[in-house]
This record gives sequence, structure tokens and C-alpha cells, in this order.
Amino acid sequence: MAALESPQPGTPTAMRNAFGNVLSVLILVLIGVLAFSIRLFSVIKYESVIHEFDPYFNYRVTQFLSKNGIYEFWNWFDDRTWYPLGRVIGGTVYPGLTLTAGTIWWVLNSLNIPLSVETVCVFTAPVFSAFASWATYLLTKEVKGSGAGLAAAALLAMVPSYISRSVAGSYDNEAVAIFALIFTFYLYIKTLNTGSLFYATLNALAYFYMVCSWGGYTFIINLIPMHVLLCIVTGRYSPRLYIAYAPLVVLGTLLAALVPVVGFNAVLTSEHFASFLVFIIIHVVALVYYIKGILSPKMFKVAVTLVVSIGMVVCFIVVAILVALVASSPTGGWSGRSLSLLDPTYASKYIPIIASVSEHQPPTWPSYFMDINVLAFLVPAGIIACFSPLSDASSFVVLYIVMSVYFSGVMVRLMLVLAPAACIMSGIALSQAFDVFTGSIKYQLGASSNSTDDAEDNTSTNNAPKDDASAGKTDKGEEIVKERSSKKGKKKEREPADKPSVKSKIKKKALVLPLEASIVALLLLIMLGAFYVIHCVWAAAEAYSAPSIVLTSQSRDGLHVFDDFRESYAWLSHNTDVDDKVASWWDYGYQTTAMANRTVIVDNNTWNNTHIATVGTAMSSPEKAAWEIFNSLDVKYVLVVFGGLIGYPSDDINKFLWMVRIGGGVFPHIKEADYLRDGQYRIDSEATPTMLNCLMYKLSYYRFVETDGKGYDRVRRTEIGKKNFKLTHFEEVFTSHHWMVRIYKLKPPRNRIRGRTKKLKSKTSSGLSSKSVKKNPWI
Amino acid sequence: MAVKSKLVSLLFLVATLSSTFAASFSNSDSDSDLLNELVSLRSTSESGVIHLDDHGISKFLTSASTPRPYSLLVFFDATQLHSKNELRLQELRREFGIVSASFLANNNGSEGTKLFFCEIEFSQSQSSFQLFGVNALPHIRLVSPSISNLRDESGQMDQSDYSRLAESMAEFVEQRTKLKVGPIQRPPLLSKPQIGVIVALIVIATPFVIKRVLKGETILHDSRLWLSGAIFIYFFSVAGTMHNIIRKMPMFLQDRNDPNKLVFFYQGSGMQLGAEGFAVGFLYTVVGLLLAFVTNVLVRVKNLTAQRLIMLLALFISFWAVKKVVYLDNWKTGYGIHPYWPSSWR
Repeated sequence: MAALESPQPGTPTAMRNAFGNVLSVLILVLIGVLAFSIRLFSVIKYESVIHEFDPYFNYRVTQFLSKNGIYEFWNWFDDRTWYPLGRVIGGTVYPGLTLTAGTIWWVLNSLNIPLSVETVCVFTAPVFSAFASWATYLLTKEVKGSGAGLAAAALLAMVPSYISRSVAGSYDNEAVAIFALIFTFYLYIKTLNTGSLFYATLNALAYFYMVCSWGGYTFIINLIPMHVLLCIVTGRYSPRLYIAYAPLVVLGTLLAALVPVVGFNAVLTSEHFASFLVFIIIHVVALVYYIKGILSPKMFKVAVTLVVSIGMVVCFIVVAILVALVASSPTGGWSGRSLSLLDPTYASKYIPIIASVSEHQPPTWPSYFMDINVLAFLVPAGIIACFSPLSDASSFVVLYIVMSVYFSGVMVRLMLVLAPAACIMSGIALSQAFDVFTGSIKYQLGASSNSTDDAEDNTSTNNAPKDDASAGKTDKGEEIVKERSSKKGKKKEREPADKPSVKSKIKKKALVLPLEASIVALLLLIMLGAFYVIHCVWAAAEAYSAPSIVLTSQSRDGLHVFDDFRESYAWLSHNTDVDDKVASWWDYGYQTTAMANRTVIVDNNTWNNTHIATVGTAMSSPEKAAWEIFNSLDVKYVLVVFGGLIGYPSDDINKFLWMVRIGGGVFPHIKEADYLRDGQYRIDSEATPTMLNCLMYKLSYYRFVETDGKGYDRVRRTEIGKKNFKLTHFEEVFTSHHWMVRIYKLKPPRNRIRGRTKKLKSKTSSGLSSKSVKKNPWI
Repeated sequence: MAVKSKLVSLLFLVATLSSTFAASFSNSDSDSDLLNELVSLRSTSESGVIHLDDHGISKFLTSASTPRPYSLLVFFDATQLHSKNELRLQELRREFGIVSASFLANNNGSEGTKLFFCEIEFSQSQSSFQLFGVNALPHIRLVSPSISNLRDESGQMDQSDYSRLAESMAEFVEQRTKLKVGPIQRPPLLSKPQIGVIVALIVIATPFVIKRVLKGETILHDSRLWLSGAIFIYFFSVAGTMHNIIRKMPMFLQDRNDPNKLVFFYQGSGMQLGAEGFAVGFLYTVVGLLLAFVTNVLVRVKNLTAQRLIMLLALFISFWAVKKVVYLDNWKTGYGIHPYWPSSWR
């Protein structure tokens, strides 16, 4: 502190800056540690295990990659899934996550750190969330200065929405994709602020990484063009904008086309068309500005009519071509998932397989409170802060939050894209509020002792972000001068823009709030922050850490662990032949292939609706028809998940209506109405005969009455309708400890053998054969 | 000449023969009369929905001998219930009209006279309602040619059959009557001349707009517009309005136990009511707006007392709003959010 008060004019600020930088780095490291460690609850409370469904597939792919190398991985045809079709993994998977984890594993191993692939996979997500919070710092710093950046990074490190997708063990695309998303946005803003081609190239590379990682890259390739268009329309076009955008489109599209799963989609599907349209527009606008620069105003007026008319014609032609292209493709060129964003009712009407997934439902207000918590309160303040003053960078984050908040309203899954935007906005709001309140307190406390010195200090700290911004502006100014000397108009615009910031500096001295009110406000803000921390820690510990492969429940007699899934997958892998086919609803496909190493009919990569509908139809059919369907698919075992005994709600009976719907969508003889009694889904004695005779009902409730004598289902909270029945075409081979997983074997078709025995028997004694005619031939 | 006259007479004979044959084949003249009358009635209404009363019902259904040469799809309407939004009578009636119009447009020939769309109104034809045994609305009933007892409810359209409005109604009709309704032809939002006028206006306006954009003086350059738009979309989304639109949630419900009481808040996190969403969305937004107001506007106010009072008020409102939302969230979701203290502190 003594050094700070030294009279020399240059040293204190330099010292202050150095001190501030060191402190910032320290804080960033701590934020990284926080982001990493808050995600370890799942490992501490449960164990180091891969979570849920999709991560198991990613894990299996990573295992394959680390074992066989990248070229094998690229050409991998997987015959263990989608039997008998198989799946080309290399061409249908977003390879970013797998390659990232594979690289980490390879680097660690070549450094003689022997970690298993599983460990690397489990901890990839927490590591990348630390990266993501640092990227958030960089992005927010570009927009509103480092104070806001630090606040935003700290908020992002523990935002529950992001935690939900990136706890240790949640090894899914989003884990690395959110980092890639934020980092791409940062590089875009950085390019926009500096106008440097270096950052523009990096931006295209970051975009490439994003395309590799997640289908959500379409959000970037639509958001950035929208921002460019917005800038052009509001008269904010500048050469920096051109440099930030044009290389991204050209390089980015070329790179995106390199990813096999995207390929020519990068130029063929209409999700990408917006970027090309804006690419043309920005060239027209750039031409106009160029001509404006080299012509006298009079000549320009003549030229502008010419250029504008030509440009318009070109635009109209391109728009017409685009419209024709969009109209000619079957879904209007838009994939179902994207369409359901634009027309929210689309999916629920036409695509049951999308509508059936719970994360595609529209969220209610508690979802926002659960997932971004108090940030929901701060965002409006952040939006307003971004408008005063509005810059290219701040207009981008405003657009980002508006788009993401709208899309999150359609699909709860996209809350994940909203979370970084909400953190950035709240960081800006918090930092501004802290600036004003602490500034007021400091000014008034200082005013009582020695007024002038502290007041000056105060303004300099208050305006720290602004200083940065204006420094950035002068940088840009210089670079533009270097590039072109013809930007007279631009310079004129810039000068008045700089003046008000000087003015506001002078004014700001008087801008203070009452002391005690500021203190109260500060305390309340801190309380709000503390509440956020409590909520996030609670969410990380209780709500989002369950691996869902191992379940626990807390009751009076202590902790119960339900490890039925692994028990049954282990049973499958030990007691069945390695080439046996196992049928189950698609939710369990990835787990079966990864943990039991058995061939499945359908899995969570829902690429073939007909195949899924076939399984849905089999599950909804009576035993004999189901047996025939399964037998035609070479299925040997059928696996169902049943929660009625212990009250596990996401079991197959609860998913059953979707099987009916999806099955009925392809095979019309399955009708949803046959399974509903007066529009109600029920399994008690009021249930329809179709429901009581379908395979899913029978496999779920077979022998269930033996458990308690009544057959009381704890999920549906009712006694089941049909209690005592026998299976004719299936036999139970395994039921897990808590009855959560039940595995049935298809009975072999005995009739042909029986026919042979009949012949044999008839040769020896013909009297016995008539007796067995009434018996079921399948037994 | 002789040959020609012979030919004419022969033709005449054939014509009379065939007409008598046709008449005898269709059982009686009355059937074709009824058909003609139905067709003419249908042509008078715009969407092809015939408005029937007690008299019409008895004429076309009860007194006509079975099998009738036509099916009737009857929509039971009640004007006095139009005010009850949850029944969606008016919407369904509109969709019914669309199905009827599409059926008419897609079936020109003899197929078109096999099915007629009718409606009867409760206050005008109460006895028909009794005849059909209808005592709850919405009710749509297909009376197929062979049905003589109108109380036979086999032709009733289930709730699931009009859940997707005109499309599912058409499916129902196709399933039961084996007639093809064809693609549903909804009236376009704008008629063709309207579209033409709009396109012309846009084309004319474009040069002026471009000129103004280049000059930089449109409302698009007003950042306040963008600001309010952004805040509004934020409010719109966090209020869960999309959920209300997709799920078609009402603004509030009536309490089942006490019909005079209204339920504004629904317990359980999977669902929300309209008013509830807007209330909480407002609470979400107001805190941020107050914070922005204090940090951006209030700092410029010169009067210290005014600053103090306004700020305390703002703080109080914000505190209350946050508290309210936390309380509502805990109540709605049933989560018990709790901190983790070090075990030595206990």
C-alpha cells in the first residue's frame, strides 16, 4: 500500500497493473480449481464410473481408438449394433470428444503416466469445464473488461446447467463442446476488436474443433452471421467486421466439410445457408463502402444507385435460389431438430422420436431457477449494461443471450447454451454493480479524509474496464490506418466516440450513491452470490451427480445401493454367447454394447426410425407376434427394465407409450388408442386387453405377484391388472437383485423338432400322438 | 332419314330404360330426393357444413330408411357454451368446417355425396340432442348408413381423434367411412391479392429503406428499441411462455373442491400455468431492471434524499422478489436446497 501512495506518477499505476495482473492470474487458477473440483462429487459420492447412456458409447469408441489407432477408428464399421444393419462409426460420430480424450490418454502414456482410458474419460469433462471458464474470462474481458471477465468466469465455473452435463464421468460431447463454443465466440470478438487475420484464422480453427465436437455448431454458424447482419443493418459495418466474418465462412466451411459426419452437409443443408447469404451481403456492403471511400460525395450518389441496384439483383437471385433449394429438399432442407426450434409445435406433431426425449421438452420457470439460479435475476441488468455504450462486442453478447434464451424456451436441453451467455451477462451486471457501490463507498469515505487523491484513484479503478476498451479502440484505429488510408468517414465517426468517454470520466466523479444504501446493496449482492454458491454446490452434490447406472436411495435404515444394471450386464457377458443378439428398448443399447459386449438391435443413436419402430412394435404386440418379429431379427435375449418393485420411475412401462407411438408411426396396426382406457394410460384391472396381453406388460410383470402376493406396482401406485399368467414363447433366464432388469430368452421353435419326433413316434406307436395336439406347440 | 329416326328412337329407349333401371336400383325416389336436398343445402353454406334442426334430423336420419345412401358427420354445438374456453367448441367447429371444405374440394364426383358434414345447435334442437343421447360436449358423431338407433355411440369421435384438430378428424373419417378426405386445405393466412399488395409495397419501399439505412436514421438505429426487444424476449422465455404455447396451458385453473376459487400456481415442476409463468417471469426481470436502474440512472440524480429513498425501495423490492421466487421454487419443486457446513461446526 505504501508503494501505491508514492508520489511518482508513473510507478503506482504500473505497480497497480502488475499487482492486478498477478491477482487476476491467481483468481483464474482458483476458478479453474473450483470448476474442476465442484464436478468431483460424483466420484466421491459414488465411484469413478462412466455415467448414463451416451457416455458409454463414447467410452467404447475411445477404447477402440486407443487400442487400434486413428486410421482404424476412422474406418470402423461396428457390427455389434443395429443388427443386422451395423453402423459406420467413423462416419457417423462427432469425433472431437473421442480424439481429445484419446490424445490426452496418449500424451499421458508417453509421459509414463499410466492412466486407464476410463479414468481419462471420466475426468475429461471437469478439465474442460476449467478451460471453459477461462475462455469465458477471455470473452467477457473483450466485451467489458477484466473485472466482468473474472466475475463471469467464476459464475460459469459453477453454473448448475453446465455442471449437469460435465460432472466427472459424464463423458459426452457437450463436455468439450461448451468450451469450444465459448472459445470460438471469444476469437470472433477478438478478431472483431483487433481486425487481425491471425485471430481470424484461429477463429476458423476453433470453429473446426466445435464442428468436430457437437452438432450444436449450427448455433455458431447462424449466430455469427446474424450478428454481422445486425451490425450492417445498424450501420456498424467496418473492415474489422469483414475480417472477422469472411475468413470464418470460407475456412470454416472448408474445414467443417472435412468432418465425415458433416461432409457436404456444410454446403447443402439450409442450416448453413444463412451464413452464405450474409457472406454475399457483406461483400456488397464492403463494395459500397469501398466506392464511398474513393469517390467524391456527388459521384458516390450516382454510384450508389448503380451498385445498390446491382447488389439487390444479385441478392434477389441468390435468395430465390436458396428458397428453391430449401423448398426442394424433403423436410424443407431443415433437419427435424432444427425445425422444432423454429416451429416449436413441429416435433410433437410429426416426429415422436424427437418428442419422446425428455430433454427436448419445453422448460417451465423452475427449470430456469434450477439451472441458472440467481443469474436469472441479474441478466436484465447485464443486457442494459451492454447497451451503455453499445459496441460491436457487446451487441454480440446481447444477441447471444437473446437467441439462446429463446431457444432454451423451446427445448430444455439448450439451457446448456444459455448458461454461458447468462454467466457473461451476470458477470457484467455484477461487476458494474460492484463498481458503482464500492466506488460510492470509497468516494464518500475518502471525501471525509483526503478528498482529491482518492477521488482520482477511484475514477481510475471505476473506469478500468472503460480504459481497456478505449485502449482497444485506439489500437484498432492504428491498425486501420495501416491498412487503408481512405477511411475519412470512419475516422470522423471515431473521434466523437472517444470524446464522450473522456467526458464521462470527468462527470463520473460526481456519480455516487448514498453511503449506507450502497453498503446495504453491497451486502445484499454478496448474499445473492452466497446463495448462488450454496445452490450450485447443492445441485452438483445432490441433483446432477447421480451416474444413473448405479442408483442409491436414502431411507431410515440407511443407504441403499441399486447396482442392478451392472449386475445384469455382467450376467449377459458371462452367461451368453459372444455373438448373441439382445433386444431392448433403444435407451439401453449403448450400455449393452459397451458393458456386456453383446450385439443389440437398436441403440441411442436413433438414426433408423423403422428399426426402432420394429422393436417398438414387437414390444407392443402379443407374445406370438413379438416372438416372430424378434426371431426374424435373430434375437436370443430380450431385456426389459422394470421399476415397479423398488419404485424406479424411468422404467420401460413408463416409456411404453412411446414405443407404441413410434411403432404405430411405421406399422399402422399398432394403435395408441388400443392401449388407453378412455385416454388414460393404466396397467391395473381397468387396462385394455391389448395392454394386458402385450409383450412389454408380460415381461415386466411376469411372476411379479410372487413378490408381495398382490402385485402392487410402486411406480404406478396401483395393483397390476393381470397377475397370474404364463409365458408361452419366452422364458425368464435372469432377474436382477431388485428386479430392475429382467432378461428373457426366446424359446426355440420346437414345432419342427416336434414334428420330427412325431414322425419318429408314429413309427413306433401311433396312439400317443393325438393326446398332445391341444398342447401349445411352442412349449 | 329412316335410319336416323330409328337411331334416335333407339337412343331414347335406351335412355329411358337406363334411367328407370337406375331409379329402381337406388331403391326409391325419396333417397335421391334426400340426396339432392342435402347437396343443395350443402351448396348454400360456405364450408359445406349443413345446419340441421330437429326437423332436419328427423327428415334425413330418423325417417329415412336404412341403409341410407349417405353418412352424416354431426357436430354438436352449443352457443351458450362458447364462452367456456376449455371446451374449445369454436375452435373445433372451425376445424370441422375446414375438414368439410377439404372433403368437398377433394371429392367432386359421386364420392362427394356419400358423406355430409352437419351441425346441430343445442338451443334450437334439444330433442335431437336427447335423441342422440348427447349430454357432454364437445361431441362429434358419425352416423353411418346402416345405423338406425341414434343412441348407438359407435360412431363417436374420441378425444384423441380431434386432438390434432382437422388432421386427426380427417383420419377418423377416412378410417370409418373408407372415403378419402385428401389433403387438408387450410385457408391461407393471407389471400392472394393481399400477398400481391404486400409484395408490391415491399418492392416499392425497399429503395427508400436502403436509403435511410445508408443514412443511418431508421428506428433500427435506435438502441432503445433493441434494448426493450431484448428484455422482452428474455422475459418471454424465462416465463416459460413457450411451454404454455406448446402444451396449450390455460392461464389459471378452477379449484376442483371450490369452483369459485381459482388456482394460479400449479404444484409440480413438470407443468406450469400461464399466469404463474408471467408472474415469476416478471419477478425474474424486475430485479435486474432495478439493479440496472440504480447503477445507470440513479447515480446521475443529484438529490441525495431522493437517491436514498429510491434505492432503499429498489433494494426492498429486489429482496422481496428474490425471496418470493426462492419460496415459490421450493414449494413447486419440493427440493430442499441446503448448504454443506464443515462437520466440526455442528
